[in-house]
Amino acid sequence: MNPELIEKVTKLIVEKLQSANESEKHVTGTSDIPSSVVKFWDHTSNGKPKNTNHPPITESNVKEKDIGGLIQFGEYGPASPKHDLTESVVLTSSQIENPSNPEELQELIAKTPSRIGVGRAGLRPKTDTWLKFRFDHAAAVDAVYGDVKEELLNRLGLFKVSTRVSDKEVYIRRPDYGRKLSDETKQLISEKCSKEPTVQIIISDGLSSSAIEENAEDVYLSLQQSLQSLGIDVGTPFYIEKGRVAVMDDVGELLQPKVVVLLIGERPGLVSAESLSAYLCYMPRRGTIEADRMVISNIHKGGIPPVEAGAYIGTVIQKILKYEASGVSLVQKES
Amino acid sequence: MVCIGRLFGFKKEVIFIKRYEPQHEEILSAGIDIGTSTTKLVISKFSLMNMAGGMHTPRIEIINKEVLYRSPIYRTPLLSTTSINISEVVTVVQREYAKAGIKPKTIKTGAVIITGETATKQNAQEMVHHLSNQAGDFLVATAGPDLEGIIAAKGSGAFEYSKKSGKVIANIDIGGGTANVAVYKSGKLLGTCTLHIGGRLIEFVGSKIKSISPPVRELFQQWRVQVKEGDQRRDSIIKGLTEYMATVIARMLNRQLLKTDKPLLLGHEPNWQEDIDEIMFSGGVSECLYRYENGSPVTSHYDDIGEILAASLRESKELSQWTWVKPNETVRATVLGAGTQTTEISGATIQVDSSQLPLRNLPVYQVPFGHDLQVGLKKLPAAVLHAVDVYDSQQEGQNFALYLTEIPYLGFREIQQLAAAILESVKVKPNGEQPLVIVLESDHAKVLGQTIKVQNSKQNIICIDQIRVENGDYIDIGHLLQTNVVPVVIKTLTFHH
Repeated sequence: MNPELIEKVTKLIVEKLQSANESEKHVTGTSDIPSSVVKFWDHTSNGKPKNTNHPPITESNVKEKDIGGLIQFGEYGPASPKHDLTESVVLTSSQIENPSNPEELQELIAKTPSRIGVGRAGLRPKTDTWLKFRFDHAAAVDAVYGDVKEELLNRLGLFKVSTRVSDKEVYIRRPDYGRKLSDETKQLISEKCSKEPTVQIIISDGLSSSAIEENAEDVYLSLQQSLQSLGIDVGTPFYIEKGRVAVMDDVGELLQPKVVVLLIGERPGLVSAESLSAYLCYMPRRGTIEADRMVISNIHKGGIPPVEAGAYIGTVIQKILKYEASGVSLVQKES
Repeated sequence: MVCIGRLFGFKKEVIFIKRYEPQHEEILSAGIDIGTSTTKLVISKFSLMNMAGGMHTPRIEIINKEVLYRSPIYRTPLLSTTSINISEVVTVVQREYAKAGIKPKTIKTGAVIITGETATKQNAQEMVHHLSNQAGDFLVATAGPDLEGIIAAKGSGAFEYSKKSGKVIANIDIGGGTANVAVYKSGKLLGTCTLHIGGRLIEFVGSKIKSISPPVRELFQQWRVQVKEGDQRRDSIIKGLTEYMATVIARMLNRQLLKTDKPLLLGHEPNWQEDIDEIMFSGGVSECLYRYENGSPVTSHYDDIGEILAASLRESKELSQWTWVKPNETVRATVLGAGTQTTEISGATIQVDSSQLPLRNLPVYQVPFGHDLQVGLKKLPAAVLHAVDVYDSQQEGQNFALYLTEIPYLGFREIQQLAAAILESVKVKPNGEQPLVIVLESDHAKVLGQTIKVQNSKQNIICIDQIRVENGDYIDIGHLLQTNVVPVVIKTLTFHH
């Protein structure tokens, strides 16, 4: 079924349920929880509704001239109407009727994105809780089976290559194929990419195309700025479709970079389907052990803000270069 | 959000967990309290640790506070009734540092607080600033009756108690000159009030009255009682006075002060709205109630009305309507509060020019973005202009911190816009060499600071985040620590209703 239709229907039902609740509460006069605004990220927002809507991309007023080290945005097309889940489906703060300590409950709910304090109807969850759950589940499935739009790749100036899988079902069943580049890909990146850069940035959809759609651009641009201001040179970035984390080893063999940064979609969960991870490794090669990789995970609107993550990754790369190690080896050298 | 409900059964490709000691650091903090009758000092050690785990951006928190050294309680050295003996105070502090085996240079944070009637002495300001420079690299000077009450409530344990119990508790810190009240509920400050009630408002020499402080003199006048300095002490009058003080405290707690009580009120009326459930006494007079300190009774060497006041409190019918909660600290509540409860830690991903630190006494100017970037960007120029007007009306270059709140979710392009707008707006500051200080509520300091630096490499920038302040607060920002955070002391005077 069409995902937008599902979203629309779910939204309708949940809103209806809530407005019914609202009016009921007003009659009985027990409502002390404002629940008119529906939002996903209750836990991030200290009670105040936060606008997590990503505004349409507009030309920055920063001059496009070459001003010492400014990131060039390049040609990006008209604003893409992003379908923003965070604004569309609503989960009220608490649905427990007459809690004995509403303040404490509110505090507990604010501490976790988990579905706590949602109340119950008999032995089962309430209808809107259940619908929300189904919706989140559907969003997660969509994230896995979706594809990253060409438009985003064009905007970031990334060319697209693939691993040894072309089909999503195969990708899920054969992780080992996702870790290898196809022969055409190897040839293509050998031709197109500069060799032995200090840092090689790659982006891959992994298990969540939504993660890339929503966050990759901000992380990528912020990371580039961070590396530039630190004076670290960056190779030719590209996008790998249906990749796994260890695909960076193949890239390492071919391009011989000092550090590889792989921005990859995380396996979606029910809290967020669009969480991104940045995997970093010093000189990944065939046979690199997992302990030498490191990761900054949970990059999304409700977690580490993508722009801040990009700036932070820059300093981590600086540290990796200083100690010429990553992962556990870095920790050992550091101490 | 470490634990995310996973949808699929298979394992994540790589999970790298740091199985080693997480990033940690220890810093020393000092607290010095110069009160109406006593001066004391504590040295404590804060343990800072990265609580975020290796897969996340670091989050440094104070995980433990250990008091290393408590000085004896000294009499506050005075030159005359109107001035403090600064050099004697400095000598006391230096001697105590030496006894604790601490060099002033190793003190990374903390506060010097001048309290009670001492704050009204001629050279009080000179005193605290002199001492905060002498006694540590980043020791903050504070004063003011409201802040005193807040710090005492944190030191006595009332603040913690309110958090645990959810009750409305009033901490009443009665020292030599003033009674400072702070009311908390579930860890939230509801209000404060200060009264001229203390042990040293009347002093004796032998059986004669040595001095009477002005508020008490005013009371005696109101009552048409003839008592003056040099008179024989008359216990009935003294007892009458302390019993009256106890009932004034009760009326104050009920927010029902009478017109005739006004001579004892210092500053504003009680400003909380809630009914008080329980009360706690701290301060020197509380020591007379509970006797936590070893050694001889306090009055024997103080010769004032402290002990009699304590007895009146204990016997007061009005005060017995509330449950009394025992404090963790009596006479040392304020100094412990100053030494251990004033420091906050910034976010760990920040951008600071460490050469510009520490910065002291920066007023905070808040610019709420109303969750809309364009609205905020439009507000910025006028806001900065207004901030310069308010804090630097003489164009002398008094710096201030811009506190940006209610910022919506920001992408990279919005960060660029924001940085450009900030740089454009601060051109009106009279002294462009000054570091640009930005405090953010949300976690964006690193990228915003970096972007400003890229757009204007000459701009000195201190951009920190995850600190909650309020418009009109003053903040002090300490040196950059090894864990890449800065200690921040907020001198807050606002209430959360």
